[in-house]
Amino acid sequence: MAEVAYVKASRIFSGNPPVRAVDELSLDVADGEFLVLVGPSGSGKSTALRMLAGLEDIDEGAIEIGGKDVTNVPPKGRDIAMVFQSYALYPHMTVAENMGFALKLRGVNKAEIKEKVGEAAKLLDLTKYLDRKPKALSGGQRQRVAMGRAIVREPAVFLMDEPLSNLDAKLRVETRANIAALQQRLGTTTIYVTHDQVEAMTMGHRVAVLKDGLLQQCDTPRALYDKPANAFVAGFIGSPAMNLKTVPLTAEGAKLDGIVVPLPRTALDVASGANLSEVTFGIRPEALGIIPSSSTEDGLAMTVELVEELGADALVHGAVRIGDSSERFVVRVDGRTPPTLGQEVKVAVRDASEIHLFHPESGDRLTD
Amino acid sequence: MRRFLERHWYAYAMVLPVVVVIAVLVLYPLAQGVFFTFTNINEGNIANPVLDRAATFVGVGLRNYLNVLSGDPSFGSFWSTLVRTLVWTFSCVFFHYTIGLGLALLLNREVKGRAVYRVLLILPWAVPAFISAFTWKYMFNAQYGIINQALRAIGVDNPPVWLGQNDWALVAVVIVNVWLGVPFMMVALLGGLQAIPGDLYEAAEVDGATPWQRFRHITLPGLRSVSSTVVLLGIIWTFNMFAIIYLITGPNPNTRILVTYAFERFFSGASRDYAIASTYGVLILSVLLVFAAVYRRALRKQGEVW
Repeated sequence: MAEVAYVKASRIFSGNPPVRAVDELSLDVADGEFLVLVGPSGSGKSTALRMLAGLEDIDEGAIEIGGKDVTNVPPKGRDIAMVFQSYALYPHMTVAENMGFALKLRGVNKAEIKEKVGEAAKLLDLTKYLDRKPKALSGGQRQRVAMGRAIVREPAVFLMDEPLSNLDAKLRVETRANIAALQQRLGTTTIYVTHDQVEAMTMGHRVAVLKDGLLQQCDTPRALYDKPANAFVAGFIGSPAMNLKTVPLTAEGAKLDGIVVPLPRTALDVASGANLSEVTFGIRPEALGIIPSSSTEDGLAMTVELVEELGADALVHGAVRIGDSSERFVVRVDGRTPPTLGQEVKVAVRDASEIHLFHPESGDRLTD
Repeated sequence: MRRFLERHWYAYAMVLPVVVVIAVLVLYPLAQGVFFTFTNINEGNIANPVLDRAATFVGVGLRNYLNVLSGDPSFGSFWSTLVRTLVWTFSCVFFHYTIGLGLALLLNREVKGRAVYRVLLILPWAVPAFISAFTWKYMFNAQYGIINQALRAIGVDNPPVWLGQNDWALVAVVIVNVWLGVPFMMVALLGGLQAIPGDLYEAAEVDGATPWQRFRHITLPGLRSVSSTVVLLGIIWTFNMFAIIYLITGPNPNTRILVTYAFERFFSGASRDYAIASTYGVLILSVLLVFAAVYRRALRKQGEVW
């Protein structure tokens, strides 16, 4: 058990110009916390994890585990266990040998290794497979062996690098829940890397969003969803993605397709304070709704281009003319009465408080 | 039967040429060699169309085998020659493997000019064997050779007569053969090393393995299937490595191995004794067959599918 801290830690890959894969990352992870690092590929999330593991140099700044500076400590001395995306199981060892390898290297006696491996195997439902080689296991079983190898060590911190990406969709959902429950039970600080924002939202106590090596925001899943710190986070978190459009600003609100969407006073003050004539306007598909064409309410005229039926609800993709260009919008509607392809529908904002506003250039959030 | 032929004649017609070639080039000589071992055939009683002489050799049963296996020096001291062959084979393969592995490990790292080193290290392989054999023969020359000059320069007063009638000759041919055989091992093992996934090393590092432990628990097991194949090939090739020994030392009893003795018996001496030479050939084949079978079983016991 230990807390983890990144203190302005950077990893710079040599090249011309040098690439700052992780750029002055500062992050405090509490003891027992489940922190998820999420971001698109190339965002530096895996590099950040490997820096913590000691597999990647820390070129600037420092990393602390349990209050101790481990910046120059080799992986062996960091008291961490890692689950790799490929699992990296030793192919010539049985499941039991794989799980007990770290203890064997540490010189723990055989009886104790056997006991600990047995316990972990029971926890992960692997007891039947202890004498098998990884080759003879299914993908899900291999994944559990990789988890078991980490658990047996009883490390201060678990590191997981996209451990579910090689599983099929159903198993992934199941294993996701299992890992979260296991972490809860063991209470071990866990840093988890994924590119899948659903995984991030469902598993993490807190989620850190990275892009181009820079930390964008680190907060609870709820806060990330409700108050994204910038347009990138807004677009990355949530599925389907938030509708983000840069639109002209008027005295009362944002101008969309002839109608003016009223904006909160505070937001308008901030925008006018920054001398903005445009604003990046964001609204989630579920905050939009289709209203009857007979309604007197203002609405956007949208041509339906695609309907994705998900059962409980349906996602309606369509084009709305804003100024001279045609912009795509996604609306989440009730699954039982979706519009048909090519239909003209009227789309309205259900709740003005669900509107997110961002600076058109920097992408920073304008309102609280 | 007729239906079978009707259906599959095309397939049989396609493989027929290969079957014929193998029968003529491999099976017929093999059968003839085995047949000779039961006769007293030599230059004096083989059929000779030039002298218009009919064959007069006769069957002698197992006498050739009994003579050879008795270890009689006049029949090549079979047992001591076998021991020398084994010493030669295993010392060569041991050094091939260890030096080849060492170089492969060095080349598997990120070093500047890796491509250049790789080419240089493969060079012995590219040079025709007889050229390198003669070059080494000059280098081993007791009086003028560069090796003894170097030894004298560093203060060895009486450097060995390398290629004389003593055991230094065996040491010399082992050195040459090691030099020739290392590139193959190196290339094969380098391929094996590159097939080991890098994340296994990372996992072991996180598990707390020292470099030596990583070598022992990741590299060696990862190389096992490549190693078992190249070591078996190395043993078979070296066991039958005639050219290097003969080119460097000629018919020297101190470097005599089974194949070189079979050759001596076949091509030199007062009467070219084809019967004994064939007997040696069959015995060499049997030794290698037994060895390959044992080796295979040992591997299977380790769980290697091969």
